[in-house]
Parts: sequence; structure tokens; C-alpha cells
Amino acid sequence: MKRTWKILLMIISAVPFLGGCWNQKELTDLAFVMALGVDRGENGHGYKLTFQIVNPGNVTTGQMGGGGGLPIAVYKSSGVNLTDASRNATKEVSRQLYYAHTNVVVISEKLAKKEGISNILDALDRDPVFRTTTQIIIARGTTAEEMLSTLTILDKLPVNNITKSLDVTENMLGENTKITIDDFISGFVSKGKHPIANGFTLVGKKNKGKYKSNIDSTIPEVIIKTDGLAIFKKGKLTGWIDGKEARGAVWVLDKVKGTDVNIDWNGKNNAINLITLRSKTKVTAIVKNDKPVITVSIENEGNVSQADLPIKLTDPDVIGKIERKMEKSIQKEVLGTIKAAQKQRSDIFGFGDVIHRTDPKLWKQLSKDWDNRFADLQVNVKVDSYLRRSGIRTNPFSVDLK
Amino acid sequence: MDTIKISSFQLFVLVFLFEMGSAIVVGIASGLKQDAWIAVLLGMAGGLLLFLVYHRLFSYYPDLPLTGYVQKITGKFIGSILGFLYIVYFIYCASRVTRDIGELLTTTIYTNTPLFIINTLMILTVIYAIHKGLEVLARVGELLFMMVYLMAFTGFLLVVFSGLIHLENLKPILENGIMPVIKKTMGETITFPFGEMIIFTMILPHLNEPKKAKFVCLSGMILSGINIIITTIINIASLGTDLIIRSPFPLLSTISKIELMNFIERLDVFFMLYLVIGGFFKITLYFYAAVLGATELFKFKNPGKLSFPVGFIVLFASLTIASNYAEHIKEGLKIVPIYLHWPFQIIIPMMLLVIAFFRNRKKKQKTNSDQTSKSEMSPANQ
Repeated sequence: MKRTWKILLMIISAVPFLGGCWNQKELTDLAFVMALGVDRGENGHGYKLTFQIVNPGNVTTGQMGGGGGLPIAVYKSSGVNLTDASRNATKEVSRQLYYAHTNVVVISEKLAKKEGISNILDALDRDPVFRTTTQIIIARGTTAEEMLSTLTILDKLPVNNITKSLDVTENMLGENTKITIDDFISGFVSKGKHPIANGFTLVGKKNKGKYKSNIDSTIPEVIIKTDGLAIFKKGKLTGWIDGKEARGAVWVLDKVKGTDVNIDWNGKNNAINLITLRSKTKVTAIVKNDKPVITVSIENEGNVSQADLPIKLTDPDVIGKIERKMEKSIQKEVLGTIKAAQKQRSDIFGFGDVIHRTDPKLWKQLSKDWDNRFADLQVNVKVDSYLRRSGIRTNPFSVDLK
Repeated sequence: MDTIKISSFQLFVLVFLFEMGSAIVVGIASGLKQDAWIAVLLGMAGGLLLFLVYHRLFSYYPDLPLTGYVQKITGKFIGSILGFLYIVYFIYCASRVTRDIGELLTTTIYTNTPLFIINTLMILTVIYAIHKGLEVLARVGELLFMMVYLMAFTGFLLVVFSGLIHLENLKPILENGIMPVIKKTMGETITFPFGEMIIFTMILPHLNEPKKAKFVCLSGMILSGINIIITTIINIASLGTDLIIRSPFPLLSTISKIELMNFIERLDVFFMLYLVIGGFFKITLYFYAAVLGATELFKFKNPGKLSFPVGFIVLFASLTIASNYAEHIKEGLKIVPIYLHWPFQIIIPMMLLVIAFFRNRKKKQKTNSDQTSKSEMSPANQ
């Protein structure tokens, strides 16, 4: 009798530890979706999904390309909405799709322009497995399917190519910035802000990217490249801003980490190049005669990185003059971006939110017609630049040439 | 029963864990958007005042729990009925908390596990704890208190260093005036979690230094209140007002946003650990209050024996009180505070205090006159 009790007790005491095994999934039964692509369905009905699934055996280091197969496999499926399409995929994929490691959601430009993406966001927002840190990008001038099936040479997993190049442009160039699904939705919901998303494009022969030959040559036939920022209005893509204009937007959003600015000197164009190490942006609003005025104040700190003409960089007065020129140049750039956004009537900077915070009563009137109010909003840009050092040389060698 | 004694630090720990319990997990007063923390602050102030009421009652009857002195104050018949209702209330609250924890676990990580299994495991652990008694529970509390604090502190640092805090999200303060905040305070935050201190009226008689009860409980409430406020502020600052309304568990969303140096991320396990610890203490204390009340009321000798039947009631109530999450939350936010928390936490204790005040004044006058007559006599003896 005592023995039976003991055995029973042991079985019962095992119960709490086994509770976690209810949902148990073996690694070999899971397909890790690294990136999810969303395209427009046939004839504009529903959605076509593309799954970039990691092929674990072929990613391990040391294989050096040869021998093993491709690091990823790309599957497609379609359905009336995201969940439907994802479940339909099981007809082809032999494993359960697992989204906890999805880093990127790629949406094709066509879909974003024609139908808008409001119908796909909720599925991404609601699913407990999906990470809130997942980034959202737009496949510009191509489809999500082509984007996700392109192999990349430096990063075995093409999705890392996307996330890393976003990271690195944010740090070195400042024309793009990480935008997660959360950021996007909060811009979508807010009345005083329009969301933006990073654009990516394919350069080269688009249909060649899926073959191994693409990574067998030193110059790949197709590469994935960041390309501008997409502006959204009511869930639909309405326009793009590129290059320096995009950098201006990133500057206002206080996301610039490092970048470079060229200035003219003594009539020579782009004679001096300056790099930014740190930058801080503050946006404030003042209400004057019931009219809001936005002030964008940017403070940045940098070094001289290149001077292609004889100039005395040892002279603090000269440095001061360069600083003033740099300030002017940044100011012009940022104002240009703001003008461009005002033309499109899209407040991508969240100026509306700033007014909401400073004067909630005034905002109640303005928010009804914010897009038009934003178009003729008065915005001042104030820039303070500080140049600290000039590399490991003082004056450029051209001073000695004289 | 009288042999059970806990130290004042142990009581402090229990108050702290109980108050933090599920309040940190669910988005408390989140309907107020950026002003939620003000409602928590006001709720804490109200809760402290309420506790003074409970403490006054305790100081009138330092040896009796709530269900005991209810009978002394209102008489045997009404007192027994009230005592019984309190027991039912405690059981109901315990099952609500169980459901909260179960729902959270099933929506986030155990998505395919039935609620029944998760709640059963929780209740079995709670029954075991009750069987061991309050002293053991208090000691476990001391251990886990350190752990919770360490986790909370690490979590706080990680959130700050991941650059998630955007204090501008807290503005504009009091956008729609103070009225919505006061309404929310009255309807929600004063009762949950601060008014729930009512269960400590059952435990206070077991304190080994009754004089410290007031100080210990108030400081426990203040500390946990501050923590809840800080958590609310962090949630608002890092999620923004729109996301906080859509998140049933804002803290979970905040924690899953932590991304430090590309390798410290996906720390949801912090949250789950806290949730299970906090939930465990909240359920256990409610449960214990119910068991104590029942032993007192029905003159049971051994409170441990009641833990199984009460446990099953809690378990089945936790599964049947609502058929889905939306219903559970609606009951919790709209119905329970007004029809249950207000009468049991605020109205009945206040009435009891008024009656007790008059009864004890009479008694005091009597004893006072006895003392004066004695003191009049004493000089003669000298």
C-alpha cells in the first residue's frame, strides 16, 4: 500500500514540470521564417505571401559556399488574408511556419500604393509570436517575392543583408532609419503624424537573384539596396523622398547617428567634407496669436574629414567659419525636406503630436484639418554645429604647395 | 491557530507582493492614456486612508480577524452573514486573479495549452502553500521578494539603456481635465489594488509586534504604489498612448521591446517569472483569508483541511466566471469594482468602524471611570 502511494506521489510531482511540454515543438518540425513578403494577389484579390525560410544545415560557418546547398528556401502561398495565406502554405512547406525570428516584413510597392496596407497590419500586431521589433520595409519597383528570393554574397542570410545595411546606413549616412511595425502603427493611428517606411530596391537583373550563380561571382548580378523613404497616408503609399531629402527627414526625427556634409569654400564646390559623430534634434512648438510655430533645433558635433584646398585648419576662426557654413547647409537641407513634405501634405515629422503636447486645446481645432494646416505651417530650423578635430593632420598638404 | 506568528518584515514583504501582484501586469487605468499614473497616485492616497480605517478596527480588536470582530460589532446573526459574504468575496477574488494569470499565460506563451491545466497547476501549488501555513508562505515571500526586486531593477535599467523612454509621451498632462482621472480613481484604482488591503485584516492578528502593524502596512503600500506608478510611467513612455490602449498586458509589450546591443533581447521570461510569483502570492493570500475566515466562522480546528475544498471552488470558479477574455475584463473593470469592491472594501468597513467607535466609547468610559475610581483610592494606600 505504501509503495503505491509513493509511486503515485512521484507521478503527481512530475506534473508541474511537464506543464511546459504541452506546446512542445521539435526544432526539426519548425520552419524559421526569417522574412515575410506580402504581394498583391491575382487580379487584386487577396494576398500572395513569400516566406524566406532558413535552411539550418547550410548556414553553419566553415562550409565556405561550396559543398552545402543554399542557405535559404523561399516558399509562396496565397490567401484572402495574411493568416489564411500563412495556413495555406502548409500545403507546400513540410514544417510548421515559426515567426518568432522574423526580422523583416517586405511589402511590395504595388500593394502599398493600390490597396494600402491597413488590412495586413493587425495580423502582425496581434500575433503573440511576432516580435514588435520586426521591421517593415517596402520593395520599391519590384515585388516582395523577388526581393526575398535574391541571394546575397556577404551575408549568408539575405534578411541579414537588409537589416544590417539599414543599421549601417543609419550610422554612416543617415538617409534611412529603423522603422518597426510598432513605430509604423503608432504613426498610422496618430492624428498628428504620418508613418514612413524604408524603401529597398533590386539593382541588376532582378530574375537572376534566386540562382546560386548570383553569389558565385565577385560582382553579383543583383544586389539589394536601400532606396529612399516611403510616405504613407491613410495606409496607402503616396510618395517617396530620396537622398538628401530623406536625410533631412531622418534629421528632424532625431535618428541621425552619423553622416557627412559637403560645403563650398572660396568658390570651390564641395571643397570640404565634414563628418558628424553625434547629433541631437529637439522639436518644440510655440503658439503665437493662435497660430503654432514649430522650431526644429539641431545640435551636432563632428570632425573635418577632407579638405581639398589650401585652408588653415589650425586657425580657430577658420574652423568657426566652417561651422557656420555647415549649419547653413544643414538648415537648407532640412528646410528643403519640410517644404517637400508640406507640398505632399504629409506630416511625417510628427509636428502635430508636438502641438498636441504643448497646447491640447488648440490641437483639437487643428486636428480636424491637419493635413492642410500642416501645408502652411511656419517652421523654423536652428542648427548648431561644433567641429572638434581634424583627423591626424593639421593643415592640408595643399597649403605647402603654394 | 494562535501559535502562528509572522515578523513585521515578513508582513511587509507580503503586503508588497500582494499589492504589486497582478496590478503591475494588467494595464491599470490604461483608459486614461497618458494620465494613468495620476489615477494610480490618487488611488494610492485613497488606499492609505482606507487602510487607516482597517487599522482602527484592528486596534479595537487586536486578537480577532475581520470575520471575528464583525460578529462582535454587529451581533451574532448579522455578523455571521457578513462574515460568510466576506469569505465568498475572498474566494471570488482569488478565482479572478487565477483567471487573470491563466489568461495571460495562455495568450502569450502557452497558446495551445487549455486554461484548465494552467489553473490547476497554479491552484495545486497554492493548496500546498496553504497546507504549510502562513509562516512558510511568509518565508517564501522573503526569498522571492529579493528576486522580484532584483528582476525589477535589472528590467528597469535595461529599459532605460535600450533608449525606450520617451518622456514626451507623458504630455499633455490632464488633457481632458481632472474629472476623468477622479472618476477612474474612484471606479478602479482605489479598490484595485489598494483597497484589496482588506484581506490583511485577517492576517494582522498573527503579527508578533501588533504595534508596528500600521507602519509596516502603510510603508508596504507606499513602496508597492511607487513601483506601480514607475511601471505605469515606463509603459506610457516607451509604448506611447495609442499602443498602451491596445495592449492588454502593457508591461509585456514594453519588456519585449528591450533590444540592447543586439543580444540582450526577448526578455519576456522576466515578465513571466514575475507574473507567476506575483500571481501566486495574490491568490494565496486571498485564499488564505478565505480559509481563515471559514475556520473562524465554522469553528474548524485545522485550517489546512479546508484548503482542498476551497481550492476546488477557486479552480472551478476561475474557469466559469467568464466565457472569454473580453467578458472577464469587462466584469473586472465595470462590475466588480462597483458592486463588490466598493461595498466590501469601503462601505462595510466604514460602517463597522462607526458602530465600533460608539460601542467602544461606552466601554472606554466604563473602564475610564473604573480607573479613576481606582486612582482615587490609591493615594490613601500610599
